[in-house]
Amino acid sequence: MSEDFRAPSRLKSRIYSALLKRQREDGPLLNLSEVKARGGRLCVFEELVQIAPVGESAKQPNLCRLCHARILAENIENAPVYWPGCPYAQFQNR
Amino acid sequence: MPLAARESGRGVDDDVALVTAVLQRDRKATAEFVSTYTDAVYSFVRRRLSPRHDLVDDLVQEVFIAAWENLDSFRGVSPLRAWLLGIARHKIEDHYRRLLQSAQLLEPEAAEDLPASELDMEAIADRKRTEQRARQVLAELPEHYSVALQWRYWEKRSAREMAEATGRSEKAIERLLARAREQFRRRWLA
Repeated sequence: MSEDFRAPSRLKSRIYSALLKRQREDGPLLNLSEVKARGGRLCVFEELVQIAPVGESAKQPNLCRLCHARILAENIENAPVYWPGCPYAQFQNR
Repeated sequence: MPLAARESGRGVDDDVALVTAVLQRDRKATAEFVSTYTDAVYSFVRRRLSPRHDLVDDLVQEVFIAAWENLDSFRGVSPLRAWLLGIARHKIEDHYRRLLQSAQLLEPEAAEDLPASELDMEAIADRKRTEQRARQVLAELPEHYSVALQWRYWEKRSAREMAEATGRSEKAIERLLARAREQFRRRWLA
């Protein structure tokens, strides 16, 4: 029972999406300003929302839900997703 | 990167910090949680569900959802990896239990004249160098035989424990194991 297998990147992507969905059902996500303050690296889209002159509540939604990177990553193994700070890029087995 | 290398730099303090951040619904911490531990859980589950690779993805996802639902009970007493694999073990045993509960086991009269197994199943399950061959043979067996042998010899559960988990009699489980061992033996020696 010693061999290692790597999980498909599609599976990691789907697990991440499912976890964020469950987290959203349990309450608001930590807002992007706090994520960044803790050292979390934001993707380009999150960065735009984070600096936009909007209320804090607008910085809480799961923006990945609306992003095509999520769709690609959940359905294509090693999807062409490369943005720095994008969790779905992080899951690719490259 | 090998799984062990990816996790080797993590200590329990790192695990507790990560869990705390995930519980606060920090999306980047959640991504790190998935990125760091999915390979280990996947590997653990895939070996134990072989050859039913079609079931692996759903079960691994169930492990992470169950982990989220119970994450506030993680105290850092053991590493997060071990805690997650404990959840995975429960899920796998649930699968074994359901499969053996629904499987048509041996008819009593068919089991009485089984020959004694000439193979040492405990030793086969222990030897790394025979692991791959054993996996191949298990993959060729009917699923309920494969599951019964894996549960008994790889997960080290007794026939009594298996009987209690499945609601079968201990005698029925022993008969199932005897037939499974015999099927295994024939293929192993072929």
